[in-house]
Amino acid sequence: MPFVSMESVSKCYDDQESRLGVTVLRQVSGGIEEGEFVALMGPSGSGKSTLLTILGAMNTPSSGRLLVDDIDVYGLPDERRADFRAQYLGFVFQQHHLMPYLNAVENAMLPLAPLRMGSLEKRQRAFAALERVGLGAKSLRLPNQLSGGEQGRLAIARAIVNDPPLLLADEPTGTLDTATGDDIMHLFLELNRKGQTIFMVTHNPANAEMAHRIMRIRDGALEN
Amino acid sequence: MRISTIALANLRRRKGRAVFLAAGIAIGVGTVVALLGLNSALREEIGSQMDRFGANIIVTPHSGNLALDYGGVSIAGVSFDQHQLSGDDIDRIRQIPYRKRLSTVAPKLLGSLDVEGRNALVAGVDFASELRLKRWWRISGRPPQGGKDVLLGYDAATTASAIQIASVKNGAADDGSAHHAARGETLQLAKDSLKIAGNEYRIAGVLGQTGGPEDRMVFVSIGEVQALLDKPDQLSVIEVSALCKDCPVEDIVAQIQKALPHAKVSAIQQAVRARTDAVERLSRFSLIVAAVVLLLGALMIFTTMMNSVVERTKEIGVLRAIGFRRGHIIRGLLIEVAVVSAAGGLLGWAGGLIASRLALPFFAEAGATIGVSAQLALFAMAVSLGTGLVSSVYPVLRASRLDPADAVRSM
Ligand SMILES: Nc1ncnc2c1ncn2[C@@H]1O[C@H](COP(=O)(O)OP(=O)(O)OP(=O)(O)O)[C@@H](O)[C@H]1O
Ligand SMILES: [Mg+2]
Repeated sequence: MPFVSMESVSKCYDDQESRLGVTVLRQVSGGIEEGEFVALMGPSGSGKSTLLTILGAMNTPSSGRLLVDDIDVYGLPDERRADFRAQYLGFVFQQHHLMPYLNAVENAMLPLAPLRMGSLEKRQRAFAALERVGLGAKSLRLPNQLSGGEQGRLAIARAIVNDPPLLLADEPTGTLDTATGDDIMHLFLELNRKGQTIFMVTHNPANAEMAHRIMRIRDGALEN
Repeated sequence: MRISTIALANLRRRKGRAVFLAAGIAIGVGTVVALLGLNSALREEIGSQMDRFGANIIVTPHSGNLALDYGGVSIAGVSFDQHQLSGDDIDRIRQIPYRKRLSTVAPKLLGSLDVEGRNALVAGVDFASELRLKRWWRISGRPPQGGKDVLLGYDAATTASAIQIASVKNGAADDGSAHHAARGETLQLAKDSLKIAGNEYRIAGVLGQTGGPEDRMVFVSIGEVQALLDKPDQLSVIEVSALCKDCPVEDIVAQIQKALPHAKVSAIQQAVRARTDAVERLSRFSLIVAAVVLLLGALMIFTTMMNSVVERTKEIGVLRAIGFRRGHIIRGLLIEVAVVSAAGGLLGWAGGLIASRLALPFFAEAGATIGVSAQLALFAMAVSLGTGLVSSVYPVLRASRLDPADAVRSM
């Protein structure tokens, strides 16, 4: 049994216009093995982000199950699901969503804030994460004092600071130029070489080619 | 880094808003503190000065025959009543359980006697207790000692030609003295003795005009009047002044009534009541103002927090996505509110204290003070924290319910 497994996951959003709602995902099944690097491609509106948020334990599917490490994620109560995210997942958002009022090391530390852990250990871990993405020398900079590529790397540092078993990324190179985008992709590959499991949504075929496996989605259904 | 670190960083990020919010709370709490301080100072003042307003209990004989009127209280006709008040009644009053609260017991015998050839109202009094009771009396001359000393009411003195018109005596050069005389401050005695029922008495002094029944009276030592009227040991009225802070006047009245079943004991509190009423009105007014001000403060906190939450929707969603519980979001926002409220409360308490001290002279007499009380400080803190937390419950809960998936999608 794979590390992550989706069992006929469907998602239907309420819609004011049709009483039936909009079905965004239809009976999606699939798995991700530990250490795998999977890319998800598909046209705009096909349901990629929806699938990612379901994998991200923050969007309850209308039907179907998500098992991660044998945990029925959506069987957990809300607060326990937050703990699950803190423990199992790392997120890289397309817009990075860095906190503008916190410096680099504080941004990287953010997922550790609610955890019971000495502040020195939190700081050391955040520094280690910054080192891994090559931002060790810029730890005291505010996000707006970093370049776009550096902001992307800071977002990755924040995503890996808790050593998550699964790293989720939604178009991490979408806003970057080709060179910096490649930079980020190389960072992902390097993390993956060291064992990081990654699931990445992308529009960019060249980036998708770098992954072990490409999943394709169209109108809410996976293509084989 | 902890939740509180993020909360404080957020406050620093929006210093202006935090200061604005704290100032708003400070104004609300300051108003409440100032009004409370003034109220308690005025209550304190009334309590400690209760006996300055004269007697608050009056004891008269039980009888239907009304013959005399004293200070607005009708006093039974002395001659027909079997149940007269006597000197023993004074002792009985002094032995009630609440005797420690009695500050002055002033006996009186009233009667009509011939003064310098005309009938006048003569009051036999114990000068020591009478003067303690009537602190507002202004006496020109010396305080009467008893024995053959008499004190004349202003009208009685005029009738007996016992006072000179100042302007006649001193001439026009002494301007203003006639005016003073009218206010009873510097009356000049025209003679130093007069005849009551044929006996010679020394005029110790003259009372300045009071506008009350005293003006028409001649005050003589009570023993003399009892002898002149041939009513040994009889009294027509006993005035009692009880010291009362949170005064149980009704209880004292009941105890005296029990000790003197043959007498009529009643509480008179007009003077005090007028002032107490004023303070009560101020209290009620304060309560309303405080409620309105706090409501406005609460509304301000509510809208500010609501704005802050809406503004931070995406941020809060991101925090939720990376593993913050609802509880963590709530804690962070409440820490922000608590810090701002505490600062506002402290500021408001200090400001309110200063304001009430500045305003006190306009409401109270000199000597009234507003102290620094830990209780009031704690109360101010409780009010500001309470207002802050209660009015941000809804925005905070709303923030905690934000959907992290929305934050991810808003890309
Ligand atoms: N909360 C929502 N309520 C209603 N419909 C939604 C909601 N979220 C997404 N949708 C709809 O679901 C469909 C899939 O959206 P999704 O964001 O998953 O697409 P996507 O594949 O990520 O597209 P893109 O490449 O443009 O990011 C879209 O038609 C979108 O309008
Ligand atoms: Mg998308």
